[in-house]
Amino acid sequence: MTRPAPMVLTIVPVAALLAALQATTPPYAMLTGPIRTTGHQTETVLSTTFGVKVHRVLKAGTIAYTRFGRAVQLQTSGVWIVVSAELRAFQETMPVRAATLIGASGRSYRQSRRAGEAPGILSAKVVQPGLPTTGIFVFELPDDETLGMKLVLSEQYDPQLKDEIGVFLEDDGTASRDRLEIGKDGV
Amino acid sequence: MTRKMSRAWLTKLLAGAGGLLAAALSLGYSLYEQREADMIPQVEAATPVEAGRWKVSVSRSTIDAAMPNGARISPGKKAIVAEMMLENISAESSNLYGNLIKLANVHDASKPQYYLKRDRAILWDLHPRMPEAVTAVWEVPATLSLPTVLRLRIEGAIFKPRDNLYAAPGWFPSGSVAEVALPLKVGIEP
Repeated sequence: MTRPAPMVLTIVPVAALLAALQATTPPYAMLTGPIRTTGHQTETVLSTTFGVKVHRVLKAGTIAYTRFGRAVQLQTSGVWIVVSAELRAFQETMPVRAATLIGASGRSYRQSRRAGEAPGILSAKVVQPGLPTTGIFVFELPDDETLGMKLVLSEQYDPQLKDEIGVFLEDDGTASRDRLEIGKDGV
Repeated sequence: MTRKMSRAWLTKLLAGAGGLLAAALSLGYSLYEQREADMIPQVEAATPVEAGRWKVSVSRSTIDAAMPNGARISPGKKAIVAEMMLENISAESSNLYGNLIKLANVHDASKPQYYLKRDRAILWDLHPRMPEAVTAVWEVPATLSLPTVLRLRIEGAIFKPRDNLYAAPGWFPSGSVAEVALPLKVGIEP
């Protein structure tokens, strides 16, 4: 017959240890989440599979472009943010379909599908290794969200164990204009 | 002797009464809960309703012969069109509004197609804090007789930071939030 005192002294710390391990286990979503790289707009941000250099960040009330010879003008209740960038792939041919802007309040704004047929949209292109590809990402967000934005790029939305690049955008580079024309060679 | 017996009897009586009271309370509470669950709050037209991820105010409904973007309706069908203001009150852009509104008194209606009024085009993502005027279109057989008052049920959703399967964050259905009754006007006859 074992004595109760040593038994209690063993069981309590073991239970506490197991509870601590359970409480601090990272969730599945975090374990299989993206592999993050972050950088600043002034530098080229590189991950293992792809890299990005953000050139310009433009703000406009209206964007305009030509599609199949027909003029398209898009208004918004907030403001359009057009980001021109250069993408590089390192290992294999890949698209960069997912682009999200994280606004000042921390809410995330996916790129606008309304402007999905504008010329030079990067998410519609495929990036070949060794061939830098330039183009634009178009977002739509409320005006007060446009301070301290972060651009997040990945091959697909909600990447799992894939690279995700975050770029902090500069505040003073975003001067607003009434109308922005998106031409064939970008903005 | 008699005193002891009466005390035992009293104890039994009290225990029995307590049990009966507990059963009655439990039954009453479950009946009340059932009744609460069946009662969906009725709201007026154009009243904003918060349904978890979305804030919606449905203003009017019509029967139409063309889609809001000018496209034709499939042959042998007619369209129930509901106009509303829709706002994403979650923290990220989303296009998962397909289950938000259901027709309560039209049977076998499929999921609606949403259109953005600003562009007269199909609606994709709605971004947080950017309410838009949108129209929802249900295509129903042209022979179906429709009620004069359309009842739209707004379905809620709740956010779970950790779901039960993957411990991943997500939105899950949480039942009906409100019901709107709208007169169903005939727009352009085919």
